[in-house]
Amino acid sequence: MNPLLEAIYSTIIPSAPFIIAAYALVWVALFVFVIIAIKGFKNSEKQLAVLEEEVEKLKTK
Amino acid sequence: MRKDSKENPQKKPTLPEVGQWPDKLAMPALIGGAVFTTVGFLLAFLYAGPVNGAAVDGVEVINGELVGNVLLLSQKIFYFHMPLGIASFIAIGFAVYYAIRYLRSKEVRFDTCSRICMEVGLVFVVGTMVTGDLWTRFEWGVWWTWDPRLTTYLILTLLIIAYFVLRSALKEPERRASYASVVAILAGIDVPICYGITRLVPSSLHPVIIRESGMTPDMVIALMFCMIGMMLVAYAFYRIRFRQVRIAERTQALKERLEDFE
Repeated sequence: MNPLLEAIYSTIIPSAPFIIAAYALVWVALFVFVIIAIKGFKNSEKQLAVLEEEVEKLKTK
Repeated sequence: MRKDSKENPQKKPTLPEVGQWPDKLAMPALIGGAVFTTVGFLLAFLYAGPVNGAAVDGVEVINGELVGNVLLLSQKIFYFHMPLGIASFIAIGFAVYYAIRYLRSKEVRFDTCSRICMEVGLVFVVGTMVTGDLWTRFEWGVWWTWDPRLTTYLILTLLIIAYFVLRSALKEPERRASYASVVAILAGIDVPICYGITRLVPSSLHPVIIRESGMTPDMVIALMFCMIGMMLVAYAFYRIRFRQVRIAERTQALKERLEDFE
């Protein structure tokens, strides 16, 4: 390769892992937040199911 | 004592609740945010030109342009780094707004809103720190440096962490909400300091991008897509989490009422 071009592109390959890691970790952080929210919704659904059972029990009493 | 809006009908604050019009915008905002950030990401790599680094010994023609500098790919981190930082500032700004409203009205729902804003702020702060740190490591050769912007942002991060530590340490709801609101306000005080520190304390490390207009139009377009995308994602996150927390709170309240009834 032309030594001048080699100098111009010298930081491209070494910086690639840092750029990939930066973008990947941002997406992971955002994804984790979505997972937490979904887990919260599922917990609420479970609690609602318990409440529905309790209401049914009270009706039959 | 905690106030309920029903107890004070003369001065009833407008309470945020699930099912109001902002909820209708949450999903379109999330989809829009995903689209905008993806387009912004692609523009950053495929449309915006690379930034020049140190001069090389000569000039070469690349794509019809004369290039006499090292091309810096690491600068591409900036297109997500800055929008994440701005989104974190806005989230904390709203946390302060709701914290003040809580302290004035003692309405629990404002504390919930403030907490969720802090959660969203924490996510974006983590994103900003991660992207910034990886950039710092490559460009400056260190994982950390006591640059004024970095230092004030670290203080902000620690204040947000302190907010959640405090919340989990205090069991009494009213005291927890009041103390947490004060910490949220303290974090909010750090936001303008952190934003303006590069203007107040000239630093060679952190450039003042907007004032110095150090961006070409193609860079601005890519950045704007990422910026709008991050704002939409932050808004969607806030509404989705608020909806989830409110449903959990209402279910819990119903459970307690049912237990009393039994």
